[in-house]
Amino acid sequence: MSRPTPSPIYTLRGASGPFNTLHFSCHGGDTPLLFSGSGKGAIHMWNLNTRRADRIIEGHSGSSVIWVSALPSTDTLISQGRDMRVCLWDLSKGSNELMDSLTTGSVGFCQCSLLETGQRTCLLAFGGQQTEELKIVELPSKTLVCSLVPDSKLGLVMCVKLWQPQSGRGPLLLAGYEDGSLLLWDITQRSILSQAKVHPDPVMCLTFDTEILRGISASSDNILSSWILDGQNNLQEAGYTLSWLPANRRSLNGFVFHGLEEGMKSYGNKHSKCSQNCNRMKNVVTGPKLCDSHQPRHFPDEY
Amino acid sequence: MAPSRVSSSIVSVHTGQDGNNRHPAFGQTVPESAQFKVEMSSNTTIRLLTVAVMPPTMALISDPKIAFAYLRPACVLLIREATFNNVETLNAQLKEVDDATLQQLQEYILFPLRFVLKVPGPKKDKLVQAVVEAMNHVLGNTCIQSWQILRELFSELFLCLCSPDNPGKPADTSEELKLAVLGGLDALLHAAYGDIVFKFFESKMLPELGAGISLLLTLAEKEKSRHVQVAALKFLQALTVQCDCSEDHVVPSSEEREAVGNAMASFLPGITMAVARIITGDVRQGHRVTIRAIKVWSKTVSLVMEDAQLQSSQQGKLPSADLGKIGQLIVCRTQDWVKNTSEKLCTLLKKIISSTAAHQHWRVRLELLELAEHLLDTCSQSLGKCVGLLLEALVGAINDEEPIVKKRCEVALKKASKKNQMPVNMENSKCTNSSQTFTDILSENLHSLATSLPRLMRTSDDQNKMFVLNVFLGYLKLLGPLVSVVLNSAVHLERISKALMQVLELDVADVRIVEERGHGGSLETSSGSHHSKHIRRKHFLHFTDEKIFFVLTEICRTFGYYGNVFLLTDLFLDLYRQSSAYRKQAAMVLNEIIRGAAGIAVVANGQRSEGKANVVPLSQEDLKAAVMLVMEEYFSSDHWHLVTVNEETHRDRQDRLLLRPPILLSISNAHADPLQFGTFACASSPTSTVHQLNSNIWQLCIQLEGVACFAQALGDNFRPLLMTSLYPVLEKAGEETLLISQAALDSMWDISKACGYFSLKELINENSDYLLNDISLNLQRLSQHPQAPRVLAVMLNHSDCTLLPLVRDIIQDVLMALDLSYDHTASLFCSVLHALMKALVRWFPMTSNTTKDSMRFKQTSTDKEVFDVRQFLLDYRRQKELAEGIGIEEDDIDELEIPPQAVFEEDDDASGPDVKAELPTHLSITKDVMERCIHLLSDSNLCLRLKVLDVLELCVSVLSEKEDELLPMTHRCWPALVQRLTADDPLAVLRAFRVLCTLSRTCGDFLRRRVSKEILPKLSSSLVHQAPISTKAGPVYTHTLAYKLQLAVLEGLGSLCQSLDLAEADLDVVCEACLPYLSCKQPIRLQQACLSVFHHLIQVDPDSFWLTLNELYCPSSFIPPHPDLQPMRLSGMGRPRDEYSDNVLTLLREEFGQSGDE
Repeated sequence: MSRPTPSPIYTLRGASGPFNTLHFSCHGGDTPLLFSGSGKGAIHMWNLNTRRADRIIEGHSGSSVIWVSALPSTDTLISQGRDMRVCLWDLSKGSNELMDSLTTGSVGFCQCSLLETGQRTCLLAFGGQQTEELKIVELPSKTLVCSLVPDSKLGLVMCVKLWQPQSGRGPLLLAGYEDGSLLLWDITQRSILSQAKVHPDPVMCLTFDTEILRGISASSDNILSSWILDGQNNLQEAGYTLSWLPANRRSLNGFVFHGLEEGMKSYGNKHSKCSQNCNRMKNVVTGPKLCDSHQPRHFPDEY
Repeated sequence: MAPSRVSSSIVSVHTGQDGNNRHPAFGQTVPESAQFKVEMSSNTTIRLLTVAVMPPTMALISDPKIAFAYLRPACVLLIREATFNNVETLNAQLKEVDDATLQQLQEYILFPLRFVLKVPGPKKDKLVQAVVEAMNHVLGNTCIQSWQILRELFSELFLCLCSPDNPGKPADTSEELKLAVLGGLDALLHAAYGDIVFKFFESKMLPELGAGISLLLTLAEKEKSRHVQVAALKFLQALTVQCDCSEDHVVPSSEEREAVGNAMASFLPGITMAVARIITGDVRQGHRVTIRAIKVWSKTVSLVMEDAQLQSSQQGKLPSADLGKIGQLIVCRTQDWVKNTSEKLCTLLKKIISSTAAHQHWRVRLELLELAEHLLDTCSQSLGKCVGLLLEALVGAINDEEPIVKKRCEVALKKASKKNQMPVNMENSKCTNSSQTFTDILSENLHSLATSLPRLMRTSDDQNKMFVLNVFLGYLKLLGPLVSVVLNSAVHLERISKALMQVLELDVADVRIVEERGHGGSLETSSGSHHSKHIRRKHFLHFTDEKIFFVLTEICRTFGYYGNVFLLTDLFLDLYRQSSAYRKQAAMVLNEIIRGAAGIAVVANGQRSEGKANVVPLSQEDLKAAVMLVMEEYFSSDHWHLVTVNEETHRDRQDRLLLRPPILLSISNAHADPLQFGTFACASSPTSTVHQLNSNIWQLCIQLEGVACFAQALGDNFRPLLMTSLYPVLEKAGEETLLISQAALDSMWDISKACGYFSLKELINENSDYLLNDISLNLQRLSQHPQAPRVLAVMLNHSDCTLLPLVRDIIQDVLMALDLSYDHTASLFCSVLHALMKALVRWFPMTSNTTKDSMRFKQTSTDKEVFDVRQFLLDYRRQKELAEGIGIEEDDIDELEIPPQAVFEEDDDASGPDVKAELPTHLSITKDVMERCIHLLSDSNLCLRLKVLDVLELCVSVLSEKEDELLPMTHRCWPALVQRLTADDPLAVLRAFRVLCTLSRTCGDFLRRRVSKEILPKLSSSLVHQAPISTKAGPVYTHTLAYKLQLAVLEGLGSLCQSLDLAEADLDVVCEACLPYLSCKQPIRLQQACLSVFHHLIQVDPDSFWLTLNELYCPSSFIPPHPDLQPMRLSGMGRPRDEYSDNVLTLLREEFGQSGDE
């Protein structure tokens, strides 16, 4: 152990359940916000100035909230719960009305991935009803853009990442599957661009930096694996593999890129409490650009 | 001067031309040749005569003829014979004539009176006085139209004042006479017609006027009687046509005024000097004299030096040559003259101001204020040199303690600053210039004052300091927004700050400050929202008057209000950091500056509204930034965690010991920074002197006050800052030094008020998340933050059970920390646990306990009822049979004994998570705490054991709610408790007894057997063993441990027996052990304790103890009610009194009402 864990700047208390997911919203000049989804189905909107929950949204009839994200352009919050629903919440004017909802049909815990494509439109990727199925819909119209099913048996979709490459072609999608393989989809072509088996066990989570085209995934066998995407859109293992200590079987510790120069740092700490997220959040806030590309993705945490 | 008083159309009397001779009307005979123009018909004459002999009626005589006839005899008589009685007769008659008539007869009446005065030779004072009074009456009610008469009367009256030998000196006459003459003169001037009164000021009158004035001045200065002094001054004022009495006066035209001014210019030096001497004279002369003198000075100067007069073109006119010698007296008010005079006046003014500005009587100060305002108003140009002085006088009154003066001053200042601020409105360009200089003068004054401030603060006395500071404050207020210009000068700012640092130095020599101890942790929550502030008076080295402090704070606030807050905070923060010598003062100044910047307690000056418009308004954001800056400095570890305890208390020493490296403590893995440890150890070096400690204490108090100030300044906007500020304040509220904890508590109250919370409880509950965050964080770094448990304790003390869910995991942290290092953290956490348990007891009051008590009470009360002997005997026989024949009772006992065991085992088996989850939070916490207590009960540290016993007692109280939980816990802690009861320090024994009693109240059955088996034998044997020793012991014995132990056991035993409801055999054991202590040879406290044991025992089993006691000593004989019954024989009967008799008798009397009846 090289250095002691730094003290958290602040511990957010008072949510009576474990957190599954976090999302920072530090855009604009308003108060920075942190959204959290708890295992008891509550979405907390934390005001990071007062460090208190401004609002609590009970949206998924008590079932665990596994993913939250905010659409800053439309002041909308999207949440995904284990009740197989994705809900859109109108946050403007202090209200928290349910604007819309759609049923995913997926019983798994694959988190959605969101990509803003226009001023008001965006794409949402999520696991579908069938085992390997991936669905992409356009919001807010809810029209199904495509449904992606690989030919081979790969098991459940575990995690997805949707992004718009700088090369100008259509949006790409990275998806991790239950058997440990990683697939790169081209959405416009509805075809697989590349495929790599990065883990022997299910890919529990992945994160991908769209600028340096480098990503990390974690599997349930306590291994972190790093890979890159070359110019031909081929997935290649980068050689980093780290073992890491999960807090529990299902728990995936979050990790953050700290920019290209610093390389990669991962935080794996048994005691990582939500407060430490705040600590990192400082980094996020100081560099607004980091805020977009290097969001802490996944902080399951026992509260 | 009152031409309207009498209708002047009736000119009734022809004055005789030979004023000095006899009046023609007063011939020897009845005046046939009376030259009345008034036509008299013959019949009126007759009537007149009849009226004359008639006694005076109530109605005033209004007919001149009748009046004449009425008054004539008296007048004639007076001329013939100048006696007091005759004057009095005339005087009395005069009062019956009405004013108009009096006017007609004025000259006729005045003649005999003047005649009396003019008769050469010495006269009696009384006579002269009566005459003058009669003249007063006439003059007071009539007018004088003739210059001749005016002048004559003037000189005649003055002659009465001066001594016959030397006209320049006042006569050696009685005080009353002088008063009467001065009154007469006053009346004369008031009676004179407007057109003739100004003849006084013609050049040829100068000698006469001068003589009069000098006489008046002498009187005013030398006379012993205050009344005469005042009267002389008042007349002097009237003589300059500026009387301020309530009667009508001539209003001089500007030419006339100029004439008066010209005349008085000659006398200005004399008047001003003499009057200034009076003003600066003896303080004992009475404020009336001083006030009048100031008034005269001000009026005279303003008359002569009036800008308007001096600017008019007629100046410089040469005196006419025909005046001869008189010409030398005339002063020409030329430019040079004005310049010279103003210089001289300046000197006088300085004297006057310095002697009266801090005068004790507020009316004097008010008068000075009027003077300054008046002169500034009328002659600010001619008195150019004096303007600064006058302003100083004006400004010095801004903070006067007398509201009237203060108000007046504000009005005056408003006027002055208006004149200052609106030069545009003035047409005259010269005026614009003057007002420009007005501002310049102000800032110049401020500059020079700032320069000399440090010296003045060092050297002058309290009163002078007060004045200087008041002046300083006044300038600040007058300059308003322009103050920031002055502050921009680094030199001046430095001077000012130096002076403030110097004068605000605290006296920290008081030893009591350090020694006063509160029980920080046990500060009980005050229930209501009312909270009386603790008053901590600061003692300063350089002054004692509290008022000075208030002025100083107001100066700081004004700085904050008008100045640049960032500049000021930066400066004083620098000072704060620079040296510990300045730290307290700088903090005080900072507090006030912030308050001032928020506009709190800044006296709204007139120009506030206008003035503030010129400054960039301070936004809440800026203020907040400044506050954060200062607070950060306050809360920094170097300035917040100061040593305040010299002789480390036991607890502190332990705390510190356990926090010494290399033992690294924390809930998780601690990584204490060795550097920080170093500073910590340094700070606690025992070299700190009382002064240093006091200084530290005061610094903390001031900083705590500061936090309250900031909260006030920001109001609701302070709420976000609670995140960082509430924890440190609470930390200090748990401090042991009384002064600090009180200051912190006050600060908390202020904060909660400022942020809109109704009580401390609300403040803490609403912000518990902020507090708990810091607490949990600091608990993990306990070595660096040893105060964290204390904060938690304070929090618990002031909160309620709504806190419980949030606190829960913190408590878990604490317990975990305890588990990790029992040896080191125990005593630190024990106080937290104690606070926690106390809070729990308060939040969840027991219910079951009280019902049990009341049941027991009922039982005893039924026992006392008159009982049926037959029934009793039957019951007794059945009991006996049961005891002998059927062994039910023994079975019962067995049965009784098994269940607790069973319960325990069952609970042990079922200690799965589901059972625990059902427990309410407070009970599960209590259980956890009690678990730890078991281990700590046998700690080697006595203090800790005592504390743990206290905690244990509270745990038992809380847990008594649920017997299922309590019994197993009791079982577990029993062995340790037994040790405390039987083989420990007496203090521990005593507390252990208390725990045992609490336990026995809630689970008596469960404990009965254990107590009788394990505890009673040991205790009683030790008591029996010690009894003979203590009987023989001398007075020193009471200081031994053995004695204390005996006492502790005896004190606890009674209540224990009672609450456990012990069986007979056990009671016998106890009784056996205690009986020796009833001996009067025992130390008295042991006897008392033993009596208390018996009191309790008798409650349990009255009968058997009645018997026991009576067997020891029986004072009375019992005769059986029926001869068949055998006589009662008690072994104590007929015994001689011995060592036990006294106490036995006491018991019998108190408990059974039995007294010796031999």
